[in-house]
Amino acid sequence: MTATPSRPLLVVGAGIAGITAALEAAEAGREVVLVERDACVGGRVLRNHHYFPKLCPPSCGMEINTRRLERNPRVRVVTGAQVTGCRANAGGYEVTITHAPAYVNDRCTACGACTPVCPARVKDPFNLDMSEVPAVRLPHPNAWPKRFVLDRQACPSGCHACRDACTYDAIDLDAGERTETLQAGAVVLATGWDPYPLERLPEVGGGRSPDVISNVQMERLAAPAGPTGGKIVRPSDQQPPKRVAFVQCAGSRDVNHLPYCSAVCCLASLKQAIYVKEQLPEAEVTIYYIDRRTPGRNEEMLGRVAAMDGVRLVKGKVAKVEPNGPGLALRVEDAQAGRIVHAEADLVVLATGMVPSLGDGARVFGLACDDDGFGVENSGIVVAGVAHRPEDVAASTRDATAAAARACVAAGRSA
Amino acid sequence: MAAIPTLLPSEEFREALRRRGGEAAARCYQCATCSGVCELARDEAPFPRRLMLWAQWGLAERLAADPAVWLCHQCNDCTARCPRDAKPGDVVQVIRALVIEKLAFPGFLGRVVGAARTTWPLLVGLPIAFWIALLAVTGHFGVPAGLPQNWAYEQLVPHLLIYSVFFPAAAWTLLAAWVSGRRFWGLLAARGPRKKSFVAGLWPAGREIATHTRFASCGEAKPRRLGHLSLMWGFVGAAVTSGLLIVGIYIQHLAMPLALTHPYKLLGNVSAVLLVVGAGVLVANRLGDTLKAGAATAFDTYFLAIVVLVIVTGVLAEVARLGLSPEFAFGTYIVHLGLVLSLFLTFPYSKFAHLLYRSLAMVHEGGSEAETARP
Repeated sequence: MTATPSRPLLVVGAGIAGITAALEAAEAGREVVLVERDACVGGRVLRNHHYFPKLCPPSCGMEINTRRLERNPRVRVVTGAQVTGCRANAGGYEVTITHAPAYVNDRCTACGACTPVCPARVKDPFNLDMSEVPAVRLPHPNAWPKRFVLDRQACPSGCHACRDACTYDAIDLDAGERTETLQAGAVVLATGWDPYPLERLPEVGGGRSPDVISNVQMERLAAPAGPTGGKIVRPSDQQPPKRVAFVQCAGSRDVNHLPYCSAVCCLASLKQAIYVKEQLPEAEVTIYYIDRRTPGRNEEMLGRVAAMDGVRLVKGKVAKVEPNGPGLALRVEDAQAGRIVHAEADLVVLATGMVPSLGDGARVFGLACDDDGFGVENSGIVVAGVAHRPEDVAASTRDATAAAARACVAAGRSA
Repeated sequence: MAAIPTLLPSEEFREALRRRGGEAAARCYQCATCSGVCELARDEAPFPRRLMLWAQWGLAERLAADPAVWLCHQCNDCTARCPRDAKPGDVVQVIRALVIEKLAFPGFLGRVVGAARTTWPLLVGLPIAFWIALLAVTGHFGVPAGLPQNWAYEQLVPHLLIYSVFFPAAAWTLLAAWVSGRRFWGLLAARGPRKKSFVAGLWPAGREIATHTRFASCGEAKPRRLGHLSLMWGFVGAAVTSGLLIVGIYIQHLAMPLALTHPYKLLGNVSAVLLVVGAGVLVANRLGDTLKAGAATAFDTYFLAIVVLVIVTGVLAEVARLGLSPEFAFGTYIVHLGLVLSLFLTFPYSKFAHLLYRSLAMVHEGGSEAETARP
């Protein structure tokens, strides 16, 4: 053992897995650099209206996590940056971090003076493009670091209204990209996932009707900070749906799409059925499934939903969804009754699965992927969260804790 | 509480299914996408999901008694969408082959033709050898001397000889088909109540067979439908021509060979064109996209090959009479007669038997209209 201070761990991705891995390692005494591509931490979980099975908003737990991050001097959080290079060396890895141009810098106090003067509108990525926001704005109400972002590409030529409005000199329209080099002891990759694209599921209406939405879009529809202020409505006419159909395994467990089970969609739909019924007690909810995968304590949630009035669980994968007048026509075999059901729905939710999002990570870190595209750990580079395997938030945090431990061991080995 | 049904899984059937090309059935996880996709499936009796389940279990009795097995045209819309690559279209095709074998009378002929992968030389060779032997024994082997310029095949092979082979062969085939058809008809009735009488079901079934209207709803199989329709009407036309020729020879006392402009000749040649076009489309389909065509089992390929060879030798024999040497014509004609005899005799046991079973299934279902009616 040498007396030189050990190198920090690099954690890539500040979603629930990356934050957890960073905090666990830091609280165990490791220096950690947590790099996030977005302007703020929280990743996919913050886009959820509720967690299952407790049906509580994720912002709660995330607030605890950001406080832990804030208070822990061992974690350096780098947002708006990506790892663009990684080279193994004697003590671990030499890593290149590329910072996106900081058009809004850390002098920003989130006072909000810039937003009203911004003439440009962009689709809101936090709301999955379901609404429009000014090009300069707070990314979402729970943003941490609490700092505005500017979508520079949307700026009208020559406009500097926001800079003029800012009294803190926090806006630099000419900011440039910069890079830094970091010596890391080991790496935890927690780059998360992307929803399976709706457009790949045209047979069940994906991309062909505004009223066929994905389960992640449903979370935004129900969320108070979402595009409708939390009102569950049909996108086409903004009316509350009377009949909501959930199509399970939409693109999962399917050799033509994602061959694996995405692990969360059954529970996500059960959860959504509960909050749809809470908000729209008259709505008829039907969940079309192949199997109901609700292991462990989640089984209780299945029982709860199955017992609800106005909720039906039908065994059979939906084969076709087609526009039918103002509604949508579904064609599916009810496999228990042994007959074809021609169902009508106002809103169809495709329970789309999770695609591992390693981005450039696999190439940058020289990482191998399994047949399904999930990252496979090698000695000093540990994969955590949904970049590692399909799992829910609870499993993801356990996975991240284990990953932090393994990364600490790997960093100790190379030091 | 309802009585728990007793299932009789047949390991023998499961093994046969695997051996004959239906092994993908094991991958099915009963999601029912296939039934939801199938445009042929009736709302109250969808398929192929239940067929896949029964195939996995080896419930041969249920499969043999289910009209759905025959209402499927193997368009493979289901296979294209199957999330498990369980190939329902191909599996149901193998089920059909196994049902043909199961219902065959006598059973051993069903097994012989069912094993076409290994027995095909016998199935093709024996009838040809039989013709050669028959012609040799009766002193007709070879081209007779002094053949006129405009000779007719009757001068090579007397009509009487042809009747003496094909009438008994047809009678035997009809008998075997009758026995198998009765078995199937009885199984259908035992499984589900009949909508209509046989006679009442004839009209809608006949209309569907004549037009292939429901077949047209099969997305992946559009060209195959036209090929099959053309081929089927070609065979009908050829059969009618044969009947008309018997009338022509024995009642109208027409002189053979007929002029090319004679209506009977025209009908025969139009039929030949339909046969060539239909067979061409089906062969091209077979050689093309394997997903759309489905996997080719030996049982299927054997039947398609016989049909194609009958057509090719038939057309070639006609052309040979008009221009090529009589020796070549004679050789071609013998092979043609042998292949037609093979086609006749294997009718109840080969894929050709779909004509029998699919027709009966359609009659049982009362034809197409009631089935495709949607709420």
